Amino acid sequence: MSTDYLSTIVLMTLVTYGSRVLPFLLFKGKNVQGFARDFIELVPIALLAALVIPELVTPGGTIVLIHNPFLWTGVLMFVFSRFVPNLFLGIVFGMVVFWGLDKLLL
Amino acid sequence: MINENDLIQNDKTGFIYGLRQSLTIVIGYAPVAITFGILATQFGLTFWEAGLMSFFVYAGASQFIGIEMIHQGATPLMIGLTTLIINIRHLLMSLSIVPFFPERTLPWSLGLAQGLTDETFVLNTKVLKEVVGEENRQRVMLGINLGAFSSWVIFTILGGLIGNWLPVEFSGFQFALLALFIILTTSSLSKQNYGTYLMAAVLAVVLKLLIPGKLYLILSVVLAAGIGAWWRRRRLPS
Repeated sequence: MSTDYLSTIVLMTLVTYGSRVLPFLLFKGKNVQGFARDFIELVPIALLAALVIPELVTPGGTIVLIHNPFLWTGVLMFVFSRFVPNLFLGIVFGMVVFWGLDKLLL
Repeated sequence: MINENDLIQNDKTGFIYGLRQSLTIVIGYAPVAITFGILATQFGLTFWEAGLMSFFVYAGASQFIGIEMIHQGATPLMIGLTTLIINIRHLLMSLSIVPFFPERTLPWSLGLAQGLTDETFVLNTKVLKEVVGEENRQRVMLGINLGAFSSWVIFTILGGLIGNWLPVEFSGFQFALLALFIILTTSSLSKQNYGTYLMAAVLAVVLKLLIPGKLYLILSVVLAAGIGAWWRRRRLPS
């Protein structure tokens, strides 16, 4: 196992366990309100955008529209998961469509 | 003296009761953990490296994001920071579970906090309301947490072993995590957050083209969530 992987796990564990355990150690039962709460609630959806959209639009580092299996699979994937909200079926659909478009477009 | 009320309460007091309650989570975790194990091995990790991450980190979404970022070549520090901003939400859940345990000791605090996930939080909140007595609540929560945790680790390793047997040359695996994230997106987009989603998407693409490395991920998320939260506050009558 590489040191990079090990330090990744250590850091991920520290920050995750840290946010789980701090209230147990410090608080008597007070809730986070206001800006901080809204911010924390919006982080997951913002992160999903930041993880997905650049990979679809700029897979090789520049914007590619037509010969881009990532983009077109992504578009079909959004439509599919809108109607079939099933994790397993969705992943299979995405992989098969990508595999097909990858052969067709390149 | 034992009366009927005590007997009814005794049904809901123990570790075993919690363990049985955790079954609903186990059913939900199994396919996700297997998927994680398969993808981790497809991305070049061994089954026990995948299991190690599930054992220590134990946080679904950020583990998928972690292996995706490793795959994209992000540094451990960058992955750690991203994990922090995703998992800081555990503070909120932990804060609202803590009042169930006003007299908690240090070992119980350390132990119960370990098993807090989105799913165990929801189940514990529902179940603990009906359990009488702090000691009973501790044992029930421990049962719920341990059931969920062990299934997450075991099914990750199982998925990793399955992943070792699958053909590696299938190009579709490149899209598996993106597919997963898109499914998560469509199930969590709402009127309250789509503005933040669009802003983060535009910012991420622009910043990715402008800044070398993976810094665009954190910058776009913090900016978009910050502006989104500020916008919500602004519209509220104070």
